[in-house]
Amino acid sequence: MIEALSYDFFRNALMAGLLASIICGVIGTLVVVNRLVFLAGGVAHASYGGVGLAFFLGLPVLPVTAGFSTLAALGMAWVTLSARERADTVIGVLWAAGMALGIILLDLTPGYNSDLMSYLFGSILAVPDSDLWIMAGLCCAVLALVALFSRGLLVMSFDVEFARSRGVPVRFLHFLLMGMTALCVVMVIRVVGLILVMALLTIPPFMAERRAGSLAGMMFLAGCLSAVFCVAGLYLSYTLDLTSGATIIGVACVGFVLSLALPRRRPAAGSGGGA
Amino acid sequence: MRNPAIEIKDLWFAYNGERVLDAVDLLLPAGEFLAVIGPNGGGKSTLLKLLLGLERPGGGFARVLGREPGQAGGHIGYLPQFTQVSASFPISVLGAVLLGLVRPGFDLPGLFRGGGARRAEREAAMTALSRVGLADLAQRRLSDLSGGQRQRALIARAIVSGPELLLLDEPTASIDGRSRQEFMALLARLNRDMTIVMVSHDMSTVDGCVTSIACVNRTLHHHAESRLTPEIFAEAVGADLKTGCPVELLAHGPVPHRVLLSHDDPNCCGGRHAHAPEDRNGGRP
Repeated sequence: MIEALSYDFFRNALMAGLLASIICGVIGTLVVVNRLVFLAGGVAHASYGGVGLAFFLGLPVLPVTAGFSTLAALGMAWVTLSARERADTVIGVLWAAGMALGIILLDLTPGYNSDLMSYLFGSILAVPDSDLWIMAGLCCAVLALVALFSRGLLVMSFDVEFARSRGVPVRFLHFLLMGMTALCVVMVIRVVGLILVMALLTIPPFMAERRAGSLAGMMFLAGCLSAVFCVAGLYLSYTLDLTSGATIIGVACVGFVLSLALPRRRPAAGSGGGA
Repeated sequence: MRNPAIEIKDLWFAYNGERVLDAVDLLLPAGEFLAVIGPNGGGKSTLLKLLLGLERPGGGFARVLGREPGQAGGHIGYLPQFTQVSASFPISVLGAVLLGLVRPGFDLPGLFRGGGARRAEREAAMTALSRVGLADLAQRRLSDLSGGQRQRALIARAIVSGPELLLLDEPTASIDGRSRQEFMALLARLNRDMTIVMVSHDMSTVDGCVTSIACVNRTLHHHAESRLTPEIFAEAVGADLKTGCPVELLAHGPVPHRVLLSHDDPNCCGGRHAHAPEDRNGGRP
């Protein structure tokens, strides 16, 4: 591990993993408690259209994908609010359409790019410095937004009917949450890839939910778990020469199974009283 | 004179072109404890949502605490149906009660509210928890509480802002028999300080505990009596007494046969034993 740290690419990989962990802890928690996992899956796959668009237009991938995913997410958020009973179907359509668009645009791009696979399965070992800065910026923006709207997000996540009755701007917060989910997805694509993005968004928060005493505690615990999975996964992939993204998820899945076997927290052990 | 808690005239609400509620009139003086009963899909919950301003009526007049629905914010305490709250949500009892103090619009997080305001909120939450008898469980995780305790915690969340009107949607659905009596006694105590409107399809909880009963089945009939008479009962289950005794509905519905004991209609078969042969469920509610 020490030897590996002397390489720039490995240090960047660690940084990318840690940044993704912070954001997955926060956003994954909100996605899980608001039951938006399917929606997040839709956004993750639709964002592939953004990757294709970037290659087709010859623009930098991360900003274009971020913009495209945000639009897709807001569209899906709008559908869930306006056509509730068929929302899952429409999300399924957008899910497929985004992916198909991405592949068609890549087909049309002269000089087919093998980079494609790296967006499906992650390319954490090839994160350039510039992408790290963008990730750090996005991370700060999302954390600031969550902190600013924390009370409304908490009330909405806990009981949306009650939140509405108290005049909490549930509609706005729903859009905000979906927008932040899109940004989160774009960041995590870098690390573990599109296919596996869901695991990092859902496994750590699920493990944390049963043990945390508050929503903030759940975010913190999920972030820590993500970080452990990323570091352990990277180490294993380096020593065993395995695909890093898949190894990270493999470690997370082992952790998931172990957490099911371990007893949950004792009732009286109150960790973190308030909200 | 105080405003009536609720004033509704000729209100209607349509869902997909069909009138779920029609020609609803209700004048509820402050201080009442109203039970809203009626069959499922009869419009009970919709009525609550109209009062809260969560749904807009098709037409008619409605005032809640003298204001337009939706404008009375913190003056109304609301307890939605329990299924809305995820059982595994990580939150302490105190944390859940504090959520009742959220202000409308973009409420600032604790960091910006200052230590004094946070302390005051905490005290208000602890007072609300004492009123429902849960002060010693404040630090527990909400999901570790029993069904009855959880409902009392959510009542604390509803009353922490000091409301004049409490709207409860099926509050006893997740509570077992004994705790249910305690819960109704708690509501009776709270009723000294605030008007209560409780939607319920569990009619055994209603009997004797409330000051008036409204039967909602597309229309609303307000009965200014606290006992469940056979007439009110039949109306609530959507049956017509003249066509016979509603034993069929009783045997399959959620209503205990105890209700039949207050049944003194000489035209009806009288007493539950007479019903035994038809009672295919063996006397079980």
